[in-house]
Amino acid sequence: MKRVLEGSHAVAEAVRLAKVQVISAYPITPQTHIVEILSQYCTNGTMKAKFLRVESEHSCMAALIGAQSVGVRTFTATSGQGLALMHELLHWAAGARLPIVMAEVNRALAPGWNIWVDQTDSLAQRDTGWIQMYCEDGQEVLDSTIQAFLLAETVNLPVMIVLDAFYLSHTYEPVDVPEPEEVDRFLPPFAPKFQLDTAQPCAFGSLVGPGDYMDMRYQIALAMDDALIRFGDVEDAFAALFNRRYGPVEAIDCADAEIIFITSGTVTSTCRLALQELRAQGEKAGILKIKLFRPFPVDRIRKELQAAKKIAVIDRNFSFGASGIFAQELRAALCNTPRHPVVFGYVAGIGGRDVTPELLKEIYWLTKNSEVPQKESIWMGIQEVKYAD
Amino acid sequence: MIMNKYVNPDNLYIARSYLTTESNKTGSWRFLRPCYDEKTAPCSIACPAGEDIPRIEMMATQGLFKEAWEKILIENPFPSVCGRVCFHPCEGSCNRRDFDSAVAIHSLERFIADTAIRYGISPELEKKPSRKQRIAIVGAGTAGLAAAWFLSLLGYSCDVFEASSEVGGVLRWGIPLYRLPLSALRHDIKQITELGVAIFTGKKVSKEMLSELKKKYDAVFIGCGHSLGMPLSVPGENLSGVSEGLEFLRQIRDGKSPVCSGVTAIIGGGNTAVDVARSVVRLGGKALLLYRRRRQDMPALALEVEMALEEGVELEELVAPAVISEENGKILLTLQEMKVEGEECGRDRVIAATGKNRQVRVERILKAIGMQASESWQQADRTDNEILTLSHSVLDSRGREAVMVLGGDIVNKTKSVVDAVASGKQAALALDILFQEGIEAVVPKLQACLVGPGSSLSMEIFMGGERRLRNKHVVSYEEINTDYFRFSPRVTQPRLLKEERIQSFEEIDLKISAHMAMKEAERCFNCGLCNQCDNCFIFCPDTSVILGRDHQGRHINYDYCKGCGLCVVECPRNAMSLGEEKS
Repeated sequence: MKRVLEGSHAVAEAVRLAKVQVISAYPITPQTHIVEILSQYCTNGTMKAKFLRVESEHSCMAALIGAQSVGVRTFTATSGQGLALMHELLHWAAGARLPIVMAEVNRALAPGWNIWVDQTDSLAQRDTGWIQMYCEDGQEVLDSTIQAFLLAETVNLPVMIVLDAFYLSHTYEPVDVPEPEEVDRFLPPFAPKFQLDTAQPCAFGSLVGPGDYMDMRYQIALAMDDALIRFGDVEDAFAALFNRRYGPVEAIDCADAEIIFITSGTVTSTCRLALQELRAQGEKAGILKIKLFRPFPVDRIRKELQAAKKIAVIDRNFSFGASGIFAQELRAALCNTPRHPVVFGYVAGIGGRDVTPELLKEIYWLTKNSEVPQKESIWMGIQEVKYAD
Repeated sequence: MIMNKYVNPDNLYIARSYLTTESNKTGSWRFLRPCYDEKTAPCSIACPAGEDIPRIEMMATQGLFKEAWEKILIENPFPSVCGRVCFHPCEGSCNRRDFDSAVAIHSLERFIADTAIRYGISPELEKKPSRKQRIAIVGAGTAGLAAAWFLSLLGYSCDVFEASSEVGGVLRWGIPLYRLPLSALRHDIKQITELGVAIFTGKKVSKEMLSELKKKYDAVFIGCGHSLGMPLSVPGENLSGVSEGLEFLRQIRDGKSPVCSGVTAIIGGGNTAVDVARSVVRLGGKALLLYRRRRQDMPALALEVEMALEEGVELEELVAPAVISEENGKILLTLQEMKVEGEECGRDRVIAATGKNRQVRVERILKAIGMQASESWQQADRTDNEILTLSHSVLDSRGREAVMVLGGDIVNKTKSVVDAVASGKQAALALDILFQEGIEAVVPKLQACLVGPGSSLSMEIFMGGERRLRNKHVVSYEEINTDYFRFSPRVTQPRLLKEERIQSFEEIDLKISAHMAMKEAERCFNCGLCNQCDNCFIFCPDTSVILGRDHQGRHINYDYCKGCGLCVVECPRNAMSLGEEKS
């Protein structure tokens, strides 16, 4: 049934349909709407789930690690500082192979305090062993969240569904909300591969010597590789039932494109508009939207970009002292191929600044008119700083 | 390492152990050892009767009002009286003063006693088996009745001889009803008589009768108090318009209404002086309180002075009577003005301001400058080394006749109700030790029954109660973990309005509700006592605090306790200690 839903509520509806059993969260803008409605569902009986209130995001993730270890389906949502506070336990959740699902609403990190969109918070967690999916609109958020549980439980790794603050979390769009029976056909109840059981007491996560630890880590690496294949399986199963598919990447007009934008999140939608205008002017432009960031779909990316001359990577994030993070990833993915496009990096929309079609076209022309890229990403729209006397 | 082989056939390579961590006896790492160690509260050593105040308030918090009342009675048979008129030194040493304000211990004591009255409860106290010795008690004042109470609990049969028509001494005859209603006093005394104490009123003990008592009884306790006024030592003090303040109060308590027209001058600055002045106001007269020092030096309770002034009592500071004379049927009082100069005995010294005299005309003068014993045999001979002189009593066990014990106001340094209770208790314990173990055992045995490092005796410790196990260390404010307490205002004592007060002798302090009392009791830190809050259990990272209330009770499993000390730090009340592990 089509409903007009806020991005946050699209997440919440997916969590309801996934029949999550334990939810824990600590409120933080711009994520709060997600757990706000879920707490209502837990209270009024819409969901048969336990909502654990906690005093911090660190405790929240710890609580979910405990709950998931018992063998139930769990969910949380957070943003910015909250995600940063969870950091230690993000490693733990992945290392313990717990298929926890989280919605992470991208928010800039303080100081100064900023509640608007910026991807640095989630990208700073890229090495924690969590699968990360960056979504473009409300429908994708809902679908990806439902899929996330199946993927997580298949490979025993946690999944982070990432959405832009306000541009997605607080924007109302028509969203097709599936019926519970349909979702049940797609997503069976959680069958844990291991769980705490008082009948067979054991301890998880105890001391592991060098002899075993490295092999355990290698198993996680293998599981992450496997996740790339399983992601396709999950999408196939979902498409068979709901006739919607997103892919780990989406290539738009890439076949004949000479310059390809690399985008993620809601910037993709804006870029689709800029692309129409550029194509109307006869420019051979394209877009490669990256949805799956971990595992990074290197082969697909190489294939989609093999014919292009240049790529313009839009980063709504930055790694100080290096460059935009997507730009780094793209360079790393491409450098060992014999023939690949030149990588131009651009930083735009940091801390919630608007990324307009005009800005994207400006990036296009900058890329087209430059022979070689600068060593680091170019910061778009930087103003002259006026210091107080 | 065991590969997962559970529920699902898919194998996951994760750290999983079926070994119990119980095999790792982490207790061997310990070099510090926590233990449950109940300590002494500062209020309990400040109380001359040694009441177990932190325990009493804990019981009140739990709604165990009867048990709280019994807990008071084991140390003090006068909770109803002391809840009203005691100068409550306990509150002065309450650790809570450093946090917000002292717990209203006296209000709670009164509430607990009032509750016992309301429900007509009888105390169930442990009584020792009967002893053969019989004890005569001279004077049914606080000290004598207290001695009878404790001696009865120790198994002795007591006969009390009282000169006046009713028992209670100063409590009955010297304290106005607006501070101590008769019902409150009678209720405390009822508990004593119900213990089997025989009281003979209207039996004044003369020197001759004393000789008889000495033959018939094994011991005689003399607690007849002070009934003779001190002389002013100024010309004219024997004029008919000059009399004793205490006698004035006695007339009122005897149902009479002494004439109070015009201005009455009251000389003194103690509680009796203030009681007299306020009684004069209630009888329609004008009260002029004359004191040779300043208001802040008055021994009377500050609150009593404040209320007296509100009620219209006039206070003149730094004046001493010089000459009293009669003039046209009135009293002409010449006053010497005083001034503060230098120090003596740790307080400001006042001396006469030479040449500064003035005169006041009053209807009568009431003296309230202290009392003394009326007969010489009622006084202790402190020069006799053969006599055992203790803090609150004097024992003479020489000769073949009865042991003579002096107690109460005639020996006490501080002449207060609660010191009189302390005196009766000390005399009772001393006699029991003397009868059972001999005179040499008295001092060391009493020493063993002191509350903490203080000088108050505990009957409970003497009877072998749980309190004897308590560490003598006095808990300081710094040792309380105040994170676990909230700021909470001290209970506001409801009182009659001053317009209502001066109309009658109705009790001024009104009753507080059970709700208010429990809230106030909850403010108590219960310094040094465990109230089973479970913080030690909650915080122990090694699950080594075992509640096991069913058999062993709360204890520490030293096989696993690493001695981190968290339990001790998180104990709000300092009921635990951390010491070095002895190898």
